[in-house]
Amino acid sequence: MASRRADLHTLAGPFALNALPPGDRARFERHLAACDACEQEVRGLQETAARMAAAAAVPPPGRLRDRVLAEAARTRQLPPAPAGPEAAGARWPWRARRVAARRGSPGARWLRPVALVLSAAFAAAAVAFGFVALDTQHTLSQAQARDHMLAAVLTAPDAKMMSAPVTGGGTATVVMSHREHALAFSSAGLPGLPAGQGYELWLMGPSGGRPAAMLPHPAHGMTSPVIATGIRTGDTVELTVEPDGGAPHPTTAPILRLSI
Amino acid sequence: MKNVGMTDGPTGHRVPGHSWGRARPGESAPARPGPAETDLGTLLNRVGRGDEEAFGAVYERVAATAFGLVQRVLRDPAQAEEVTQEVMLDVWRTAARFEPDRGSPQAWVATIAHRRAVDRVRSVQAAARRDDQAARPGEAYDDVAEAVEARLERERVRRCLGSLTELQRESIVLAYYGGYTYREVAGLLGIALGTTKTRMRDGLIRLRDCLGVT
Repeated sequence: MASRRADLHTLAGPFALNALPPGDRARFERHLAACDACEQEVRGLQETAARMAAAAAVPPPGRLRDRVLAEAARTRQLPPAPAGPEAAGARWPWRARRVAARRGSPGARWLRPVALVLSAAFAAAAVAFGFVALDTQHTLSQAQARDHMLAAVLTAPDAKMMSAPVTGGGTATVVMSHREHALAFSSAGLPGLPAGQGYELWLMGPSGGRPAAMLPHPAHGMTSPVIATGIRTGDTVELTVEPDGGAPHPTTAPILRLSI
Repeated sequence: MKNVGMTDGPTGHRVPGHSWGRARPGESAPARPGPAETDLGTLLNRVGRGDEEAFGAVYERVAATAFGLVQRVLRDPAQAEEVTQEVMLDVWRTAARFEPDRGSPQAWVATIAHRRAVDRVRSVQAAARRDDQAARPGEAYDDVAEAVEARLERERVRRCLGSLTELQRESIVLAYYGGYTYREVAGLLGIALGTTKTRMRDGLIRLRDCLGVT
């Protein structure tokens, strides 16, 4: 037990540097909640990291200020952190953000069902994917980063969900947030493909297309969610069948085309 | 510039953890009551109540730190601008949830900014992009030195980073400025996970003491 605690304690460094994958972070946060000394240490280390941030300061382009101020003027603010169990969320900005999205703006209100539906739809596939991901540390941390981004998209105040049938069978579901510049994509009932082929997701824009992700192999008829970032207004989400490693450009006709 | 460029700094006036974001050359003289002179925590408090003028003042104080850090991690100025906008809007939206007894406003903003940058960089597409321009351990440190506006702070941090062991410094710089997880850092440096965690913590503690953070 003592060595386990000591091991946990060394996570204070990576935690303050925001270098923990979500699983480790959750574990460490639970530890923090019960350890005043650790919290004290983490605070000092976060202040230290902030000094590194200051040392990297670069003035942003002047136009950014106008954009930010104009956007703020039409963005609803969140009330102070509530007392009670959720108050813990306010301690760390990223958790505050999720709590906020759940209880905050009008947009968030209909979001809860979206998140619920999705997490239900994604859960089975995610479990299966979890086992696959355990293959290597690298894949694991990517999976955790993906889960984190997924949560951010699902709880974004402007999250929107769309579903569409896929040519040849199956359904695609997209949740997107322009605020997060990202979308989550999952599917159900896509036909199985011969070995060596996979489904590739694309973001097609006026200036051409870019590969977004390869869909993972389906488990229980569903593919676990993939995240595509850098979405822009006017983009179209497309799905094609490609060789397993993915192609730089679509080589087959899209079986799904969804404007976002 | 007067004596602001000294690496050891005049200590009489310095508030630990707050030395940056306020001392600007030419701004030091008389205390004016306007937003520019108001303590950042007080400004955030006002922002939390919807004060747009206060938000403008907060922007002046923290946008360069947010943008610089985000750009440092993402390496792409266009994306950095987008993400900085998200960061500043997070500040606006959640200002009422800033709790001064949990840490300085600067640390709060830096945490939001780093978090946002890392969210972006660890997502699938950005990860692919980053592969072509993977950071070399020594590079981040030097780039930072080039990009920094806050000269005094840069010098202090640089000097203090220089006092760490090589592994401590590299693991901290890769994690913070590179946006890598500690597992990725371990892989990049070819050292064990446990060692990486320990180096990060020990290095940060040393950096903290060197910088006089309390």
